[in-house]
Amino acid sequence: MSKSLKALAAAMILTLGACSGGGGDDTGGNTDEPIVIGVSLPLTGDFSEPGKGVQQGYEAWAKIVNDSGGLLGRQVELKILDDQSNADRVVADYEQLIGKDQVDLVFGPFSTRLVVPSARVAEEYGMLFVEPAGAAKEVFEQGFKNLFYAAPAVANDHYNHLAEYILAMPADQRPKTAAYAAMDDPFAQGTAYGLKAKLEAGGIKTVVNEVYPPNTTDFSGIAAKVADAKADVLVGGSQYQDGVNLIVALQQLGYQPKLAAFSTAPTNPEFAKAVGNKTEGILSPTGYSQDAQYPSNKEFVEKFTAQFGKAPEEDQANGYTTGQVVAAAVTAAGCAEQGDCQKKLVDWVRANTVETVVGPLSWDGTGKPKGAHMIQQWVGGDIKIVLPADVKEAEFVFPKPAW
Amino acid sequence: MPSGALLFQSVLLGILLGGLYALLASGLTLYFGIMRVVMIAHSAFLILAAYLGWWLHERAGLDPLLAMLGTVPLFFGAGVLLQRVLLTRLRPATLTMMSVLLTFAIALLIEGLLGYAFTGTQRRVQLGYGSASLEVFGARVAVVKLIAFGLAVVALGTLYVLMKRTRFGWALRATIQHRDAARLLGIDTDRVAGYGFGIGLATAAIGGTALSLDTTIYPSLHWHWIGPLMAIIVVGGLGSVPGAAIAAMVLGMAQSLLQIPMGTTWAQTVFYVALFATLAIRPQGFFGGRLAQRF
Amino acid sequence: MPSGSKVLKLAAVALLAVAVLAFPSIAPNPYILSAGVLVVYYAVLATSWNFVGGFTGYISLGHGALAGLGAYSTGILVAKAGLPPFLALAAAGAFVGLLAVPIGLAALRVRGASFVIVSISLVLILLLVFQSWSSVTGGSRGLVVPRPFQLTRPEHHRIFYFLFAGLLALAVLAWWLIDRSRFGLGLKSIREDEDKAEALGTATYAYKLIVFVVSAVFTALAGGLYALWFGDLDPVFQFSILTGSYLVLMALLGGVRQLFGPVVGALIVGIALEFFKVEYGDTPLHLVATGLLLALVVLFMPDGVLPAIADLIKRFGRSDRTSIREVSAAELREQRLQNAGGTK
Repeated sequence: MSKSLKALAAAMILTLGACSGGGGDDTGGNTDEPIVIGVSLPLTGDFSEPGKGVQQGYEAWAKIVNDSGGLLGRQVELKILDDQSNADRVVADYEQLIGKDQVDLVFGPFSTRLVVPSARVAEEYGMLFVEPAGAAKEVFEQGFKNLFYAAPAVANDHYNHLAEYILAMPADQRPKTAAYAAMDDPFAQGTAYGLKAKLEAGGIKTVVNEVYPPNTTDFSGIAAKVADAKADVLVGGSQYQDGVNLIVALQQLGYQPKLAAFSTAPTNPEFAKAVGNKTEGILSPTGYSQDAQYPSNKEFVEKFTAQFGKAPEEDQANGYTTGQVVAAAVTAAGCAEQGDCQKKLVDWVRANTVETVVGPLSWDGTGKPKGAHMIQQWVGGDIKIVLPADVKEAEFVFPKPAW
Repeated sequence: MPSGALLFQSVLLGILLGGLYALLASGLTLYFGIMRVVMIAHSAFLILAAYLGWWLHERAGLDPLLAMLGTVPLFFGAGVLLQRVLLTRLRPATLTMMSVLLTFAIALLIEGLLGYAFTGTQRRVQLGYGSASLEVFGARVAVVKLIAFGLAVVALGTLYVLMKRTRFGWALRATIQHRDAARLLGIDTDRVAGYGFGIGLATAAIGGTALSLDTTIYPSLHWHWIGPLMAIIVVGGLGSVPGAAIAAMVLGMAQSLLQIPMGTTWAQTVFYVALFATLAIRPQGFFGGRLAQRF
Repeated sequence: MPSGSKVLKLAAVALLAVAVLAFPSIAPNPYILSAGVLVVYYAVLATSWNFVGGFTGYISLGHGALAGLGAYSTGILVAKAGLPPFLALAAAGAFVGLLAVPIGLAALRVRGASFVIVSISLVLILLLVFQSWSSVTGGSRGLVVPRPFQLTRPEHHRIFYFLFAGLLALAVLAWWLIDRSRFGLGLKSIREDEDKAEALGTATYAYKLIVFVVSAVFTALAGGLYALWFGDLDPVFQFSILTGSYLVLMALLGGVRQLFGPVVGALIVGIALEFFKVEYGDTPLHLVATGLLLALVVLFMPDGVLPAIADLIKRFGRSDRTSIREVSAAELREQRLQNAGGTK
């Protein structure tokens, strides 16, 4: 026993030494050094697909900024950690980035679940926290003062244009019933329930309202209920794979809705193949269009395509937008380091409007953007903007062709 | 009150699901019978087989059903090795506990390697007949689900014939019933136990193929299978293959029907409720083997 | 030399205490301090686990669920019922202790295998319940636990570091007291041979149940403290199989029969986890490393590193072993079996 205790004491001392020796390299706010920006992203795990998209957006931003001379005359450098889509890790990551690595700025992670815990770390260290993906309303109810969402609208407002369109139809054509199936995730549920609230208020009856956990793989039970109810409208609060699974399960049961809307999934490049190319008429909200006429968007699409060999999607655009917002604040405040500078950055973002690839963005007191999403639809084998009318690329198709 | 059509549809789905559960639980029961080992890694191997099927389909365009030709023998060999090389190293006195930890470690290993090789992204085999279905008295049955169920029935039938009609099956059952006595009768119980493990793991290969036809797979999925499967073998009585099969059908059906009023998440709790109820009321299980009493 | 070894022992404990207490002052940055909090948290959990695992030999893979229950109970009592944080923590400990009674009744009625199955099932069922019952638990949106103190982040870490260290001291003390008691002796007899213990009149079922409840209470307190420290609870991470497996790995690695075994295990595994994260980032290779390490420990070092190191020292140092060696019934039986196997 005593021997083991001695060994224990030795181990303890060794580990303590290892600990204290581990950190300690300071990088101050020297003007010759690059501006280091800390990011934690889910590069593996549940959110790895969109996480990688955001990463490309960030990388494209850093390259474009550096190619044109950097920020405040300094190059920018991204330090990206992988949080495995795990909330414990995301907190430890930002703790490490801010507390140990002494990064000058931070960008947000992906997904609402990870945004809230990491925003708290940033808040308690007093860092500006612009994030590309925390779209659910919960994010803005936490009382964060340093948080800004770099996209046009929060999840609950994604379908606003669609709801208006449906409710404006003549009474004899308007759908009567709707079925909702949403993943138990704040973002996915937010989109579906935002539409649900508006349709219910407009007199469209909810016949099925299902919530499934993120790890659901068998959708036959949910599909059976939806098909049995024969709802006119189907709304899926989905991420990606769950939307595909639900559609395939519904196809297996031969259910044909007049209108089907899914969040995120239909904009994925793999989507058409995954549902056997039976995509015609499927709807999806989006905050970004490659063809949008905003001044910075042309440059973004061009250089992104040159860098990655394909055009940017919504996730990439959101990452890029985050960079644009922070860059605007840094340029205006004339500083980029921890400490008092962060307060200046926050105050600037709160008071100003930023021109981005998704249009001009401004925020209310909680960091919520004041805009709405466009609605896209699969028409003739391609996904096109159909709503709102002033930016449409194709006519809205209703009722939806069979899948 | 749900409509008759929905009820009938759910009953059909319940039968199809129960069949798959029965196949998978049979493997777990075999391990327990042979060595008193609770094989946590069973469902990890299941997911591994599903991944192999998916990978061959992505890379070579092979139908997952053909992949079974490779995975079944491979898994049989892995099972034999697992038993002969690893499990026999454990101290007999603490075998049950330590084997749980060891197989648990193997499950983590498989999950980690799958995550490393294929990332955590959900995967799905895209088959030409993926959304095809047959009509059965107004309800619809997906072709892929029918194939999965067919696989389960064939595999279970083969296992039954093997156990009841062949010399090896007799030896295996003798080993399960009384290892020492079997040895006295001249049965090479070590070898039989190894082959028994191989067969158990082969069922995981078949089950994994069945799974890959119709659902999404991701590395940590195995935890969502091992829970229900363990509940099934306890409810059925540890070590009893028919008991596990009956419990699998009953619980699979219950899950499918409970989904109508309760939703998918709460319906899954039926397995755990059944598990706790069984342990509190009848720890030896409802169809159970005499073995269960002491474990 | 009993007095000499006693002095050594005391000195080692004192050194350990000093090292633990001095850590926050020498931690170079808040990140290291937060990692230290995590390691001490693991140490409390592993020690709590060892009440069941070490004394009775029953291996629970579900202690992560008990910690999660403690965390959520504390969080819900603070966030929804408005209780003061530390009153909520105490209430959560008591609540989980009560809940452990029926769980233990079902799980401990039968031997090993069923216990493990129940312990894993506990994690899985609680995950389902806490995900689905969103009106109370917040579901997958998570539960935000208000901060007990209005402090800067580094100060917050420092306070909680000492709180966790205090809880660790309490858990270690309780383990030590049980280890020396008649109750402890009864428990250990269950570990060695449950049938004989029962035949000799030990109330094995009651003993197992009591120690399970004690273990659950400590685990819940640690979980509750974590909730107050961390602030965000998400069912997926609170009810994770991985937490349970880390605990088992820590306790086994350190040595389940040693008072400080789990603490040492927590130090090694906890620091290794953070180190690998910083050096190599997060990849699924964590799982691979955990799995490999667990398999190696189970296969080659089932008694842990502390005894293995002690053995090594003994072998190389001068032989001062007494004539009476501590051998468990299991080891004897195994020797017997090996001998039998050898002669066959």
